[in-house]
Amino acid sequence: MHIPDGFLDLSIAAIFYIMSVVVVGYSILKMKKQEVNGALIGIVAAAIFAVQMLNWPIPGGTSAHFVGGALAGILLGPYAGCLAMTLVLVIQGLVFADGGLTALGANVWNMAVVNVFVGYYIYRALEKANKSVAAFAAGWLGITTAAIFTGIEVGFSSSFKYSLLTAVTVMGMWHGVLGIIEGVITAGVVTYIASMRPDIIESKAASPGKVAYGAIAVMIALSPFFAYAAELVGYSEPLENVAEMMGAEEHPIYEGILPDYTVPGLDPYIGTVISAITGVAIVMGIGYGMKRAE
Amino acid sequence: MHELIERSIKEASHYFQNFFIHDYGRPGFLHRVDARIKLLGTFLLVVLAVSTFDVTKILAIFTSCLVLAAFSGIGVLKVLKRIWLFTLFSFLIVLPLSISLRFEDVLYVLLFTLRVATSLTAIQILILSTPFNDVVYAMRGLRFPEAFVSGLWLAYRYIILMFTELMRVMLARESRRMTRGSHMEVWRKGGESLGLFFIRTFERAERVQLAMKARGEKVIAFKGSFSKLDKIYIIFMAAVTLWWIVI
Repeated sequence: MHIPDGFLDLSIAAIFYIMSVVVVGYSILKMKKQEVNGALIGIVAAAIFAVQMLNWPIPGGTSAHFVGGALAGILLGPYAGCLAMTLVLVIQGLVFADGGLTALGANVWNMAVVNVFVGYYIYRALEKANKSVAAFAAGWLGITTAAIFTGIEVGFSSSFKYSLLTAVTVMGMWHGVLGIIEGVITAGVVTYIASMRPDIIESKAASPGKVAYGAIAVMIALSPFFAYAAELVGYSEPLENVAEMMGAEEHPIYEGILPDYTVPGLDPYIGTVISAITGVAIVMGIGYGMKRAE
Repeated sequence: MHELIERSIKEASHYFQNFFIHDYGRPGFLHRVDARIKLLGTFLLVVLAVSTFDVTKILAIFTSCLVLAAFSGIGVLKVLKRIWLFTLFSFLIVLPLSISLRFEDVLYVLLFTLRVATSLTAIQILILSTPFNDVVYAMRGLRFPEAFVSGLWLAYRYIILMFTELMRVMLARESRRMTRGSHMEVWRKGGESLGLFFIRTFERAERVQLAMKARGEKVIAFKGSFSKLDKIYIIFMAAVTLWWIVI
């Protein structure tokens, strides 16, 4: 996910430098106010660097690695987590040339800001229901959102000739799948620490606040866009591809109210959007009901 | 899958232990240039390389980088050995765009790759001629916030130790494992091991913080005026920039 030099237009790189400097600068100020243990940031950053070497193979002969943005946010809190991830990215850029100098602002934005803050607030929003599930969702959605931002940055750059749609779809889809492993590792670590040293995690607790709900709202608002993008590039479920290759045919016992995420008689895209809104409304309704039941 | 993940950590640990004790080559003039200027000079070279698709301008920067590598004792071959992988990766990403075989598409793919290669060359020259400690001191000299610089300095210094710690945790787990266990069991135990690793990290950080307070440790900033070599480097960078503008 590290963007090298040459992939971004200078104007876009500059915008993300400014935004990252603002957020990282604000994080440093917040840490000073909260008197965070300074050594903790550096040493946890070194630990995250080590854990980032966890590689898993992906089709095509390459591999993906653990990023740990959401984990940093959960363990250190969003501000210290943001700084720790920034340190990791600076070392990777200046010692291993992994990630460009001009692209450093964008890389920090994706992996130290988006990944950390989205991951942290998702965890805080869901932890009361189940800590393991909350950590899994944080790890998974944090990395996927960061990947989507990477796609947006390179997609908007005229230096990179692939369209915005292609860049966002490829990054979002790949990391949506690969991010499951990120989520599993995050959940495993957080569950263990929560049982052995709950003070480490609980001391970073804060009310999710408007930002969390805002972030989740943005992700929900973006989801129809990805459905549209997937349709444009002809994406279909891997299982459906396999079934087609094997000549298997679908014989549903029950079609459901919204068959194949569509509304009978309506345009398929509008049907998908309505299905998405209905699904989100049902999940939110159940969540609200559970909260009221407490 | 989990065995591959475990193996990757072991391989990475060995790699980094060797990487961090690598030599910086035969010291040439670039090794003695002030790290503050080198940091800014490298940034300038990268900006010049990625802000154009003009073949002569990119080649001018690429040539300048190779001249720097050749005359500073680093060696062109050593730099090329370090940049080929990322360059190839970038080439393969944009290669499908040249499938039409139209001249402008093929040229775009080549220039895109050359821009990436040039930027990587500039960064590798900095890496190979400047110990990271000097880069950190230079950042402090350039007025980067102290919390940022001291965090960076600590993170760099503790990377090998954290790798060793992680290896120790994994080795202990392996020695306790009597049976292969189910996949779920392996993932659960793996999560516990990493959790333990992070708990140890927190405890170590608390001890280090106390020790630092007792000693009063602080990152030293690069200060002072520039030497004759620094001025020569500045003139070289100014000439390269002028060349880039004129051609």
